[in-house]
Amino acid sequence: MRTYKIAAVSATVLFSLAMTACGSSDSDADAAPAATMAPTMAASSAPAMTSMTNFGPGCAAVPTDPANAGSFQAMAQVPVATAASGNPLLSTLVSAVKQADLVDSLNTAEAVTVFAPTNDAFGKIPEADLKKVLADKKTLTSVLTYHVVPGKLTPADLAGTHKTLEGDELTVSGSGEDFTVDGSAAVICGNVQTANANVYIIDSVLMPKS
Amino acid sequence: MRGITMGAASGILAAAFGVAAAELLAAATRPQAGPLTAVGGALIDAAPTPIKEFAVRTFGTHDKPMLLAGIVLVLALLTAVVGVLAVRWRAAGIAGAALLGVVGATAALTRPAATAIDAVPALMGAAISGVVLWVLLRSGSPFTVADSPGTEFDRRAFLRAATLFAGSTAAAAGGVYGVRQVRGNAASSSRSAVRLPAAADPAKPFSGGAGFYTATDTFYRVDTALTIPRINLDTWRLRIHGMVDNEMGFSFAELLDRPLIERDITLNCVSNEVGGPYAGTARWLGVPLAPLLREAGVRAGADQVVARSVEGMTIGTPIDLLLDGRDAMLVVGMNGEPLPLVNGFPVRMLTPGLYGYAGACKWLTELEVTTFDAFDAYWVERGWAARGPVKTASRIDQPKPFAQLAAGAVTVAGVAWAQQRGISKVEINIDGAGWTEAELLPSPSIDTWVQWRYRWSAPSGPHSLSVRATDRTGQVQIADRATPYPDGATGLHTISVTVA
Repeated sequence: MRTYKIAAVSATVLFSLAMTACGSSDSDADAAPAATMAPTMAASSAPAMTSMTNFGPGCAAVPTDPANAGSFQAMAQVPVATAASGNPLLSTLVSAVKQADLVDSLNTAEAVTVFAPTNDAFGKIPEADLKKVLADKKTLTSVLTYHVVPGKLTPADLAGTHKTLEGDELTVSGSGEDFTVDGSAAVICGNVQTANANVYIIDSVLMPKS
Repeated sequence: MRGITMGAASGILAAAFGVAAAELLAAATRPQAGPLTAVGGALIDAAPTPIKEFAVRTFGTHDKPMLLAGIVLVLALLTAVVGVLAVRWRAAGIAGAALLGVVGATAALTRPAATAIDAVPALMGAAISGVVLWVLLRSGSPFTVADSPGTEFDRRAFLRAATLFAGSTAAAAGGVYGVRQVRGNAASSSRSAVRLPAAADPAKPFSGGAGFYTATDTFYRVDTALTIPRINLDTWRLRIHGMVDNEMGFSFAELLDRPLIERDITLNCVSNEVGGPYAGTARWLGVPLAPLLREAGVRAGADQVVARSVEGMTIGTPIDLLLDGRDAMLVVGMNGEPLPLVNGFPVRMLTPGLYGYAGACKWLTELEVTTFDAFDAYWVERGWAARGPVKTASRIDQPKPFAQLAAGAVTVAGVAWAQQRGISKVEINIDGAGWTEAELLPSPSIDTWVQWRYRWSAPSGPHSLSVRATDRTGQVQIADRATPYPDGATGLHTISVTVA
C-alpha cells in the first residue's frame, strides 16, 4: 500500500511543479492581459487567457476559428462595434449602427452592456417599417441606444430593470442561462466579451416605450 | 503484482525527480528551457485550432493549467509503464528515460529564441531519471522480483529509497518555486537598484496641462508576452550585428555611460481603433540610436534594423528613418524612473513617428542590421505593413460618448497627434453643421500629441460631435474609414451626446 501512496505523492509533486511552471507564482502585473494586435495573431497567446463564459443555444452559430474576426476570442480583443462588425450574424445591426453614426461612441464608451439583435431579429420587422427606421436617424438612434445599458452587466446581475442610454428602462427576466428582455426578446447567446462591453445576443429587436 | 506496483512507482518517482531537477536547473538559468514549460508551449503551437477552441471553451482561463496537468498525467502513465518494463528489462528504463529526454530537449530547442544550451535541462533530467530508476529498482531487489519467487523483495530498502527520492523531489520543487520568486524579485530589485544618470541633453522644460503626460501605470500595453520577461541586469547584454563593419556589445552600465537624451514623445499602437485608448505620452530617457549605428558602420545595401527582444519578438525599422535626425533612442527611463518591467525593462527601443510595432521593441537584447528583403519581422509576417509611419489622428476625450449634459457651456476637449509632422489645426464639427477651429494648448515638440479644447454652447437635444486634425505639412486627417489592419486606422472620431 505504501508504494501506492508514494506513487501518489510523487504524482502530486509533479503536478504542483507543473502548476508553478504555468506561472501561477507571477505577480499581478503579469496577469493583466495585454491587448492583441490582430485577430490573426496566434491563439497561443493573449486570446486564450480571456475568460469565455458565454452561454446559450445561439452561441453555436458563432464562428469557432479564433483567427475569424467573428469568433469569441477575436471579439474579446476589440471594442464592441468593431467586434460586432466581425460577426456575420450581426451585420444588420452593424449597418444600423453605422447609419446612426454610433460606431465610435460604442467603441470608445468606457464600459457598457449591449443587447445585440441578430439579422433574424431585424428580419421579423416588416421591411417597409425597417427601412423607415433606418432612414430616420433620430428614431434609429433612440432604438439603438435603447439596446445599450451603462456598465458591464454579468449574467449574475442581468435580471432586473436597467436604465438604458436612450433614457427608458428595460426589464430582463429569467435566471441562470435563460433570460428574456422586455418579455419578448430571448437571449440566445449571452455574456459575449468584448474589450469594452458585455454583449447579449437577442432574437428580437427591442423598442423604447416612448 | 508486487513487481508491477514497485516498477510503476519507481518509474513515476524517477520521472518526478528528473523533471524536478530539470525544472530547477532551468529556473535558475533559462526558465523557458524547463521541460514542462517547453513541451506545453510546443503543444499549444502545434495544436490544431478546433482543439485550442475546445480547450478554451471547456476550461476557460484554466486552459493552460489543464494542459500542464494533462502533460503530467501522460508523463506519469508513460513512466509507470517504463518502470514496470524496467523491472524485467533494465534497458527499457534507459530507453524510456532517453526518449522522454529527447522529447523535452526537442521542445526546448524549437521554442522562440532558443539556443543549443536549452536542451541541457531536459537531457540532464532524463539522465537523472534513468539513474534514479535504476537505484530504486535495485534497492527493491538486486535481481528481478516478479519471476523469481525465491528472491527476497526488500520492501524496507525500497521504501527507504523511494521516500528519500520523493522527499528530494518535493525539495527540488520547492526550490523551483523559490528560485522563480527570487528571480522575479531580482529583476524588480535590480530595477530598483538602477540609478539613472542625468541626461546630457535634457528635455525642454515643459509643464503640460492635466493629462498631457500619461501616468506610467496607465500607459497602454500591447504585446504578446504571456509572462513579463524578468531580466537580470548582471547578465543582460545588447548586441549590434549583421550588416555592420564593427559588431558591438554593451552591458547596461556601458550603455548608461554614453551621453543620454531626454525627450517628450507620444507612442501609439497601430491596432488602435479610431478614438481608441492605445496612445500615450511620456518623458523618455535614452541612448540616441543613430550614433550607435554610425559607430557600428552600417554597410551599403542595408535598409532595415531588426530589434529582438529576449522572448523572441522581432520588430523591423527602416534604417533611413533611424538616421534622419529624429530622436530614435534606446530607452532606459520613463517619466523619471527606470523603465518598468511591463514597459520593457531594462531597455526598449523608441522611434518617434512610427507605430510601436515598427519601431519600439521592448525587452531589447539585439539589433541586427539587415534588409527588408531578407527578413520579415513578427507582425509583418502576420500581414501588417513593413513600414509603419503614424497617421494623423485626433480624439475627443471629453465629453464621453453617450454623456448626458446640461445645456449651456460645455468644454469639448481631447488630443491630436502626427508625430514628426506636428499638428497645426484641430477642428470640431457639431451635427454636421461645419468645421470650427478648436484652441490648441502648447506642446513641447512635433513628436507629442497636442491637447485641444473647444467651448461649446450646447443647446438641448441629441448631438453628434466630430473632430479632425491638420498636420503642419497642411495635410488634413483622412476621413475615410479604414480598419487598424494592416497599417493603422483612419476616420474621424465621432461621438453622440445628449443635452438636457
